[in-house]
Amino acid sequence: MGLVCLIHSNLLLAQEQHTVSGYLKDASNGEALIGATIRIQGQSLGTISNVYGFYSITLPKDKYVFDFRYVGYDPQLKAVDLSQNMRIDLELAPAEQQLQAVVISGKAEDDHVSNIEMSTEELDIKSIQKMPAFAGEVDIIKSIQLLPGVTTVGEGASGFNVRGGGVGQNLVLLDEAPVYQSSHMLGFFSVFNPDAVKDVKLYKGGVPAKYGGRLSSILDIRMKEGNSKEYDISGGIGTVFSRLAVEGPIKKDKASFIVAARRSYADVIAKTFTDALDDGSSLYFYDLTAKTNYNINENNRIYLSGYWGRDVLEFAENQGFDWGNRTASFRWNHLYSEKLFSNLTMFYSNYDYGFKFGDKDDLFEIGSEVSTVNIKPEFSWFVNTNNEVTFGGEAILYLFEPGTMVDVSAGERTTAGLEDRRALESAVYVSNDQKLTPSLSVQYGLRLSYFNYLGGTVVVYGDTLPGSPKPFVDEYKYRKWASIADYLNLAPRFSFNYKLSQTASIKGSYNRMNQYIHLISNTVATTPIDVWQPSTNNIKPQAADQVAIGYFQNLSNNQYELSAETYYKWMYNQVDYIDGADVFVNKYLESQLLSGKGRAYGVELYGKKNKGKLTGWLSYTLGWTERKVDGINYGGDQLNRKGSWYPTRFDQRHNTKMAAFYELNDRITFSANFAYISGTPTTFPTDRITVGGYVIPYINNNERNNYRIPDYHRLDVGMTINNVWRGKKGRSGEDNIAISVYNAYARQNPFSIYFSQERGRPSMDNPVATNATQLSIIGTFIPAISYNFKF
Amino acid sequence: MKYAYLISGLLLLAACEFEIQPELAEPEELMVVDAFLNDRADRQVINITRSQPYFDDSEPEMISGLNVTLYDLTVDLEYPFIEGDRYYYLDTNDPVGVVGHNYRLVVESPSETFEAHATMNRVPSIDSIGYEFNEANFLVDQDHFTAQFYAVDPKGVGDCYWIKGWKNGVYFNKPEELNMAYDASVSPGQPIDGQLFVFPVRAGFINPYGDDSDPESTEMVPPYEVGDSLYVEIHSIDRAAFDFLYALYFQINRAGGFGEIFSSPLSNVSTNIKSTNPGSKTNVAGFFNMSAISSAGRRLTTEVADQAQIKFHNQ
Repeated sequence: MGLVCLIHSNLLLAQEQHTVSGYLKDASNGEALIGATIRIQGQSLGTISNVYGFYSITLPKDKYVFDFRYVGYDPQLKAVDLSQNMRIDLELAPAEQQLQAVVISGKAEDDHVSNIEMSTEELDIKSIQKMPAFAGEVDIIKSIQLLPGVTTVGEGASGFNVRGGGVGQNLVLLDEAPVYQSSHMLGFFSVFNPDAVKDVKLYKGGVPAKYGGRLSSILDIRMKEGNSKEYDISGGIGTVFSRLAVEGPIKKDKASFIVAARRSYADVIAKTFTDALDDGSSLYFYDLTAKTNYNINENNRIYLSGYWGRDVLEFAENQGFDWGNRTASFRWNHLYSEKLFSNLTMFYSNYDYGFKFGDKDDLFEIGSEVSTVNIKPEFSWFVNTNNEVTFGGEAILYLFEPGTMVDVSAGERTTAGLEDRRALESAVYVSNDQKLTPSLSVQYGLRLSYFNYLGGTVVVYGDTLPGSPKPFVDEYKYRKWASIADYLNLAPRFSFNYKLSQTASIKGSYNRMNQYIHLISNTVATTPIDVWQPSTNNIKPQAADQVAIGYFQNLSNNQYELSAETYYKWMYNQVDYIDGADVFVNKYLESQLLSGKGRAYGVELYGKKNKGKLTGWLSYTLGWTERKVDGINYGGDQLNRKGSWYPTRFDQRHNTKMAAFYELNDRITFSANFAYISGTPTTFPTDRITVGGYVIPYINNNERNNYRIPDYHRLDVGMTINNVWRGKKGRSGEDNIAISVYNAYARQNPFSIYFSQERGRPSMDNPVATNATQLSIIGTFIPAISYNFKF
Repeated sequence: MKYAYLISGLLLLAACEFEIQPELAEPEELMVVDAFLNDRADRQVINITRSQPYFDDSEPEMISGLNVTLYDLTVDLEYPFIEGDRYYYLDTNDPVGVVGHNYRLVVESPSETFEAHATMNRVPSIDSIGYEFNEANFLVDQDHFTAQFYAVDPKGVGDCYWIKGWKNGVYFNKPEELNMAYDASVSPGQPIDGQLFVFPVRAGFINPYGDDSDPESTEMVPPYEVGDSLYVEIHSIDRAAFDFLYALYFQINRAGGFGEIFSSPLSNVSTNIKSTNPGSKTNVAGFFNMSAISSAGRRLTTEVADQAQIKFHNQ
């Protein structure tokens, strides 16, 4: 309705209107500038460039001075006599002369206050690269864990948690293709090569209608396009892996490419010292990221990007496990008119893992896989200065291969496997960004999604006492593409920004999210062997409603940004597990699942200093995240097992984070991170029971997460020295040495506390002793040094 | 999921851990019935004890003064158990367990009666035990022998087994050596039926690489040397007992170190012991099961070792 109104009003405008549109790029390398501002001098009008660097603004016929700005770049002014539609493609040059203070974000200087977006965090790759990193390896996922509202259960855990959501409730996109498992080496490193990444944006709330499919967050990672001006070779030698990236023009200003690769080399070094790795064992990971783009003409541009990564932990030939992601995406930017920008994305994404046990003659292999093919048209219609309409759709075809098994016995091979599962998720959406008054802007949208669980064998389970495996009732077959179960959901989205002054605003948002595929993980931390499962006739789609409201303030000419946000999130159909659930390659997985509700709420305080020698941020989150599931934490209620609220594994009450950068001079920058996080909940037993000689822990009252492990705190420090060799004595290019110490004061942060009978073989004559053990994944400080170059 | 444990146990990452003594909440001190009976014509034992505070490592206290009776429901027979000093028992010359029969165990206390049901299922015989020769590898830095047993799961879905082993007469009783099979595979959700047990079942839990004389040592030792013997028993169990043991495996196996990321949350294992009063709020733990047993044993003699070496070198 609102859309009809605004179009109508637009047509009624008698005054002659014209559009200025174009692309904004970095003059040094041709990379699109995301989020650059275009302001009209002397007026409050303006717009910002989108993720492809495109902008469009429609104004009455008149004379204007356009002001193009991007923080850290020299602004450009353009006098425009607007009497017809105009195309202005511009390149902004990085500000070389001024002291290169660390710039935390490339956005408009008052973006924090003026942008309608709230509950979003943006990190540009330059600040990520300056942070002290674990083992000296620059890491995107570890960096976003320093942002307010983002947590992890500890080192070694894959993924991250946003505002009380599970790891599987984050949609991680690499050039719009979802990445199902974002970790290397279990959870120590993330799969994104920083040399190929341009921009990282995290939506924790107020999610625009164009995104969907996960409850808690969208992590939108954009890759570089590749330098379209000249060839660049960059890379680094670190303690864990080496990196090399090559980028350059295929045809100057028309087409460019980037190829970036990384490989760990612990095994390469080890092989020179020991022959233990000679008998077929291999321990390594690698990833390859590549992208190319071609600027066909003024109105058409295509991009092709891909990622290929793998971890291999094989302790001997045919003994070990491996996993990896593969993604490929094709995008086509097309301008239907100066007011209508479109992007069509098609992608393929795949994740698989496998285990192998055995030797030459006797072997057992087991593996699992998920693949997706997707087509996603997206349109931005720059209606007029006050309205920008985004609409589009998405169709995702999923193929789940939950388990394949190969058994080789004395050379004889048999295969078995669980049946494939297929599903189709589709969505259409429309959303409008509207400036109602100079101080009030709103964004409202709707996303309609439809999910179809497709043919194959259907298993029907009966009801039972919550917390017990659901009894098998029947099993029957559907035709291959027949719809077994379908779900239709409407997700409204709304945000507003009310500017109290030039330097302060109040923002609010509401969003509903639906999630149709579920990460099945019943372990202390998520791991690479957790599998994705579709919603079925037995598993309902998850849903969440979130409201957030915040106050945003800039001080001292945008030097400081302050914000306070509070949020409340209601989550429905949350997947949980019966006690002792078997979720690893299980045909009857759904008999092991429970469904419940969740809630998460809290306050996030954030302060950031953008300019000067000392920059950085400080954040504090006070948060709660809880679940209520029948069959878990039901106390003495054996007859009905009605669950009571319990804190989730990632419920961290107090969460304080600090990131600071101090630029001593042109050459030397110091950096530090600090985190103080409340201990995560865990379950302690009360009794021990003895059956068959085994000592089994028992929890009085069936409580879940009734204790907390001690608090986590950690300081990391780092120093970057620029122009060590290159950049001196007329040598071209740039380089640096990054020195860091992770966990500088060597705290043994607890990861978990577990209860077990004592190690070793129990004697048949004496009772078995029982222990509680506190485990730290990182037991000491970890110094690291890396050399990075670009020429 | 057991695979994750097998692998993570090998991950030599620099995790660090130490023992702590946290204060725990009030224990429930509930009744625990440990009644795994079999088809052997020897003493059948039922342990009925009281659970202890978690860190109490004394002998669990037997609950005395109970009436314990086993009923064979198929042929309507009754076997009263005798209260001994440490357990309840039944001495019999004829096996009480018969494949295909249904059983009921009744435990009467002065205040309440508890019962459990079980069915005794079929068990396949063990064809043989084999030893293989291995050259030094990542696990063991010297030539060594490993063992497997060979048995074929009978056709028909739903057979459950608990496989026990003894090396030189010493029972494999570490938590990580608890070995179950569902048909020829490791769990109901990975259906492989009517064939030789898959490799992880045949070999996974009867090759002790750890050094029993030094539990703290991380060095791997040869599982078998010339002169060692292996004895294996397959116990048929019913589905409820399989689920109980499967859940129990994850509760008692705390890999420690980096393997902890694969561990599941602590929770109570199931029980099939129930009060006969449906409204009862008394909690009981433990399990009742009837097993048919098959067994085989073999010593790694010099001849067997030589044959294994010849076989290895001929390939």
